[in-house]
Amino acid sequence: MRINSKVIQASCLTVALTLSSAAQAALNVFACEPEYAALVHELAPEANIYSATTAMQDPHQVQARPSLIAKMRQADLVVCAGADLEVGWLPMLQMKSANAKVRSTDQGLFFAADHIETLDRLESVDRSMGDVHAKGNPHLHFDPERLLKVAEALHLKLVQLEPDSKTQYDAALADFSARWQAATLKWQALAAPLKGQKVIAYHSSFRYLFNWLGIEQVGDLEPKPGLAPTTAHLAELQHRAQQGDVMAIIVASYQDERGAHWLGERATLPVQVLPMSVGGNEDSDDLFSLYQSVITLLLSYSQP
Amino acid sequence: MTNFNPRMTVLAAACACVSTVASAQDATLSNPAISAVLDGYYQSAERPMAEREEGFGLGHTELALSANIDDLFYGKLTAVLETHGSETEVGLEEAFIQTLSMPAGFSVRAGRFLSDVGYLNNQHVHTDAFADRPAVYRAFLGSHYFDDGARLDYVAPTDLYWTMGVEAFKGESMRAEDEHGEREFDNIGVYTAYTKLGGDIGISSSWQLGLSYLRNENGRLTAHEAHDEDVVIEDSHDHSHSHSAMYTGENTYMADFVYKWAPKGNYKYQHLTLSGEYFQVSDFAPLAAHELADAHSVEHLPDDQTGWYVSSVYQFNPNWSAGLRYGRVDTQELHDDHFHEQSLKETEVSLAWHHSHFSTVRLQYTHQNGTNFDGIEDDNLITLQYVMTLGAHSAHQF
Repeated sequence: MRINSKVIQASCLTVALTLSSAAQAALNVFACEPEYAALVHELAPEANIYSATTAMQDPHQVQARPSLIAKMRQADLVVCAGADLEVGWLPMLQMKSANAKVRSTDQGLFFAADHIETLDRLESVDRSMGDVHAKGNPHLHFDPERLLKVAEALHLKLVQLEPDSKTQYDAALADFSARWQAATLKWQALAAPLKGQKVIAYHSSFRYLFNWLGIEQVGDLEPKPGLAPTTAHLAELQHRAQQGDVMAIIVASYQDERGAHWLGERATLPVQVLPMSVGGNEDSDDLFSLYQSVITLLLSYSQP
Repeated sequence: MTNFNPRMTVLAAACACVSTVASAQDATLSNPAISAVLDGYYQSAERPMAEREEGFGLGHTELALSANIDDLFYGKLTAVLETHGSETEVGLEEAFIQTLSMPAGFSVRAGRFLSDVGYLNNQHVHTDAFADRPAVYRAFLGSHYFDDGARLDYVAPTDLYWTMGVEAFKGESMRAEDEHGEREFDNIGVYTAYTKLGGDIGISSSWQLGLSYLRNENGRLTAHEAHDEDVVIEDSHDHSHSHSAMYTGENTYMADFVYKWAPKGNYKYQHLTLSGEYFQVSDFAPLAAHELADAHSVEHLPDDQTGWYVSSVYQFNPNWSAGLRYGRVDTQELHDDHFHEQSLKETEVSLAWHHSHFSTVRLQYTHQNGTNFDGIEDDNLITLQYVMTLGAHSAHQF
């Protein structure tokens, strides 16, 4: 009996050690969108990061599918855009995954929109306005200054979860912040010719990008947020395009291009698909190359 | 009727809230998620065992309130208004609490809630792609089985989704026919156990498989007295608006699958859902009848009652989706000391228009083919239905 209990004790200890060392080894991070997976990768390169969606998937309409429940069950940190972008699926994943660690923003839940001022907040929301977000536009990752603020807040969250790794996290933030600020200045200079340009776009997906670069969206392919383009609405946009001041029609990588092509042919306007996030085209494999790619693509249409 | 007043108070309170916090997006204590479902239809005939009647009618008119109660508990209340003829019934479909912070992937749900057996059962009917549940659900679960009880659920920390759980319920709506009203039923009538597995296949496809078992202590029929009681039994079919299961047994085994596909996993424009379930209900013959049968060596034990369906729904653009469903159920009806085999087959086609995420108008054609089933032989019926939700955007299950 004595031997047995020793064996049991020893094996328990081994299991406990294995578990604790595994937990120390890497933080499991569940990102709702690929841009936040990329941001976590900058700030916590050692972490195991899983992105629930790709740049080819509309983050408004995601299935609370079994694989996502399984991933969230194991997560130490969940990073999402917030501002109700994931309201149709994230609560279901939280409920089904039974993971107390990622239930509250006091612990392992992080919403980017909580840490910045969103654009287009609404005092009151009526569904006749379409599927709008009262908390403002959640597609905030295309504003470099806001994204840096999000990075700083996310860094604090990482330190809160793993105080022992503070030194590494501090170093990662300092490194990212320096590179990001330098790149922002470079992009601003590069994108100068885009200032004042007018575009027609699908949804308000690039609201922050246009706001940052001084591009004006004069038309939306959606008659109302969340509703598919209709022929009548496209005909109105064609009328608007006849003024001759529109540079291009912009569609995000997860959006249907048919409405854009219909309008493009009739209004003789170029249609450009922009990557909505990291992985949205071949050039975008991190946040830096995503910004670079989007600006390069837009510049090809600007008339000096 | 004794419970009527509190229910109405809850409804009234919820109604009062709707106007002030209709824009509620976050479900917090001061700001609960409130949503209502409006469902109306016209139907050319009635499906057997279904809740919808012939002609114009209202389906499930739901009012739901949910929020985190504190950091440990979540609560949800769903009141359902149903009209049958000139009567309006107020029912509680859900009134449960669920733990939020149990360790190691465990959670407990208690109160009144939808059982997690099968695939469709824990889904709200307003999210269905067809006007009524498949015949197998109507026959064996009373369309959707909700009850007062408790559940313990566990999710494994694996990359392959794996959950399992056990439930215990009062089981009133699952009781076998009690023609004399003399039977002493068990207070905890229904126990269930289920497990589900699921995952992705590449970027475009996802799947889930489920196995469930339902033990119904009150599911076995009692023997007939030597009277001409057939009339009583036949009467039970007119009771088609109750939520009670029409055909019960002590043991029910269920298997289900669902497969979903969307191009590049993007569900906004096109997606396909294939699903199917199989039910087997056994041990329903009265024990006395066995003895009787043995004694006379005439009647053999009836075959198990079975049912299944397969369904395919394709959304070909954000505004339109179409569905095809085939299902059948084979049941046994007790007549004196022997069983009559019955069978109902349904082939259904539905076409739905979705103006937005919140509004659906559906046209459905059903062809029914029956053997000894409520006089159904070769019937056609058409349903035109709308289902609309207002208030909070509720998250959907897979």
